[in-house]
Amino acid sequence: MVRRSSMLITVALLVVLAFSAVAGASNDTLVIASGAEAVGLDPRLETDVPSFERINLINQALVQFATNMELEATLATEWTVSDDTMTLWFKLREGVKWHDGVPFTAEDVKYTYEWVLDPANGALNMGLYADIDEIEVVNDYEVIFRLKKPNAFLMNNIARMPITPKHDGDRVDFRQSPIGTGPYKFVSWTRDDRMILVENEEYWGGRPNIPNIVFRAIPENSTRLLAFEAGEVDIYQGGMVAQEIGRLEADPNYVVQRTPGTGYNYLGFNTRVGALSDVRVRQAISYLIHREGIVRNVLNGIGTPGIGPVSMSLPWFNESVQRYEYNPEKAKELLREAGYAAGEINLRLYTNENPDRMRIAEILQYECMQAGVNVEVIIEEWGAYLARIQETDDFDIFILGWSGQLDPDRAMIRQFHTNGSNNYGKYSNERVDYLLDLGRTVPQESQDSIDIYREAQEIVVREVPYGFINYSEEVGLHHPYIGNWEVHPYGAAAWQDAHLMTKNK
Amino acid sequence: MFRYIVRRLIQMIPLLIGVSILVFLLGHLAPGDPVRMLLGEEATAEDVARLHAVYGFDQPLPVQYFRWFSRAIRGDLGVSIRQTIPVSTLIFERLGATIELAVVSVVIAILLGIPLGLFASTRRGSLWDFLTMIVSLIGVSMPGFWLGLVLLSYVALHVSWLPMFGRDASIIGGLWTLITQFRADELINSFRYILLPAVALGTSMMAIIARLTRSSMLEVLSKDYIRTAQAKGLKRSVVVVKHALRNALMPVITMVGIQFGAMLGGAVVTETVFAWPGVGRLVINAITQRDFPLVQGGVLMMALIFTLVNLLVDVCYAFVNPRIRYE
Repeated sequence: MVRRSSMLITVALLVVLAFSAVAGASNDTLVIASGAEAVGLDPRLETDVPSFERINLINQALVQFATNMELEATLATEWTVSDDTMTLWFKLREGVKWHDGVPFTAEDVKYTYEWVLDPANGALNMGLYADIDEIEVVNDYEVIFRLKKPNAFLMNNIARMPITPKHDGDRVDFRQSPIGTGPYKFVSWTRDDRMILVENEEYWGGRPNIPNIVFRAIPENSTRLLAFEAGEVDIYQGGMVAQEIGRLEADPNYVVQRTPGTGYNYLGFNTRVGALSDVRVRQAISYLIHREGIVRNVLNGIGTPGIGPVSMSLPWFNESVQRYEYNPEKAKELLREAGYAAGEINLRLYTNENPDRMRIAEILQYECMQAGVNVEVIIEEWGAYLARIQETDDFDIFILGWSGQLDPDRAMIRQFHTNGSNNYGKYSNERVDYLLDLGRTVPQESQDSIDIYREAQEIVVREVPYGFINYSEEVGLHHPYIGNWEVHPYGAAAWQDAHLMTKNK
Repeated sequence: MFRYIVRRLIQMIPLLIGVSILVFLLGHLAPGDPVRMLLGEEATAEDVARLHAVYGFDQPLPVQYFRWFSRAIRGDLGVSIRQTIPVSTLIFERLGATIELAVVSVVIAILLGIPLGLFASTRRGSLWDFLTMIVSLIGVSMPGFWLGLVLLSYVALHVSWLPMFGRDASIIGGLWTLITQFRADELINSFRYILLPAVALGTSMMAIIARLTRSSMLEVLSKDYIRTAQAKGLKRSVVVVKHALRNALMPVITMVGIQFGAMLGGAVVTETVFAWPGVGRLVINAITQRDFPLVQGGVLMMALIFTLVNLLVDVCYAFVNPRIRYE
């Protein structure tokens, strides 16, 4: 008898628990499963995408990238860039309040940028704003940026820097519990577990449709996907389980959204040492990259074959650059022309422990061997790998990727300018240097800008400092009851318009 | 006994100094630079130099070590480079989760492992013995992350009251609300969340305990005093549990102690699969980011706990075996 009643109690408990589990996922809370925890929430200090996914709900920049990658008004309602690109003028939105009720003004803008530009504060992204000379507050709602030298693309960096409040930004724990002007207010954060945000009822863009947002950090892709399929979370964010994408796309219970991203993967060549200093050898290896095969089989169809450094969706993209369709015969011919017999070239190809990169390295090793080039693949831990590429020239080829390439300047000047900060392969071409410098001095919307960068792409693709492997693709995965959300080409901006989202479960 | 414990505690000091030097050197001499990890692919030479100065990495290594160590002995483990939060805060906010997971796993492992081993040893050579050992062999060989994923996709996905990931209230917190407010929901919730990760983490230990208990029992059961006890006409169960098991448990206790220590630092995989907010993930992430203060603080803390657990195990011996006396 005792046994039976205890069993009944157990069953009753389980039923209650089962209901409580279902009740947890109500329509007034959006649960986003994120692949990584944020490092912090101070826009002046963070550099990683997971942090900015959350920051962009709380804090806002003067302008932001819409999903079509055009700049749209947020805290600034109007802006102009002078013809010499040396002066930026902003008219700020009036009536905006910080989450604590203090009005937002031009002083906050000045404060944010001056904080970033003060070397003592250790802002990692300081270099992006180093061309700013001074910031003039005209009145509470008008501000002027004066630059030290032309930089037509500074506007795009301004879109990446949410404004922080002057009256609160120096608080010691601002990074852990910020206030902003955005649609959601920070509530609490248990690191490596969850972050809770609540609607900003006085948001200038209108009260959010979903009152609460919870970010859950689930690092393991398989677990995150299972939690999504079990309905414990509404949206799956972060690294995709690529093998599963076909199944998910075919299943009417899920919505998969895809859009071209803003990054690319590439082979970097050390253009100064040995055989790779000959452009024909680099071209030969570029002909040996089986891009379609890599995208299809290594990346499971997520991404598109690489062409050049500039994303296809940007107006500067040059369609008529030289193409390196997979062609072993052409590669062998180029190697012969360069005077190398089969087996004469020995190259060391470095990569880190990224599984996709390791497989790409193996495929390339095989293709090169077929063409008579010996490639040794060496896999290093990320820290050691970065140190090798950035601090030494003790490598022949490496595999890396760039993300957030929002404009041609960002996609090229650091990489291919002789003095570029990330020109690890020591590529140098006078004309390219000239064009990349010139590009900063003309307005980014002008035809001149387009002509300049199309020519630069043409040279860079012909001279192959990089072998372009693939363009990235952003994938969004959610349940069909989530509405008004579009996957953003720029990952960090994923939730910037979350106040418009709806949930009808 | 008291003097013994004090002596052991004093002996820990040189050990921990040794650990601190080792972990400091391993971090700083390995390739990879925390500033470059922070800046990632986009690092510029100027940014690297500027931040090196900000964090004091431009100083000679001995200077850096003594600066850090002199603060550490006063209880200040420094500040995480990446998160700019005190290392001790980061560790202590996760330590509870890690200890809780380790304790529940060990409890599960002991509660299942010892009876299994006992059961097998008393039926040596039978089909039951064989089956038990097969099961424990599978348990030992199965990688924890794989078992975790299997549990998620075959159990949690179909049993709606078992959550897929994360942690809710702590068990201690749940007990507190039960006592103070007569509410069991928090406690039940914390068990719902910990069940699968604890099973995933505890299974291999359970299997090891079962095998160790079995072999240790077989050895003890062949001893003369067991035959004597049986000859006296004692009940079989009394002989097995009171005379044999107690002696057979010594190696098991040693093993549990070592494994428990390892679980505190080595539950990374389980913590990752179940998104359990523990110390293991924190320290592994710190290592990949070369967040030196966090790595050093985390390892030092784990070394401290590990040695304390060892001490506890040694003290336990005395209780299990009254012939052991510590001077």
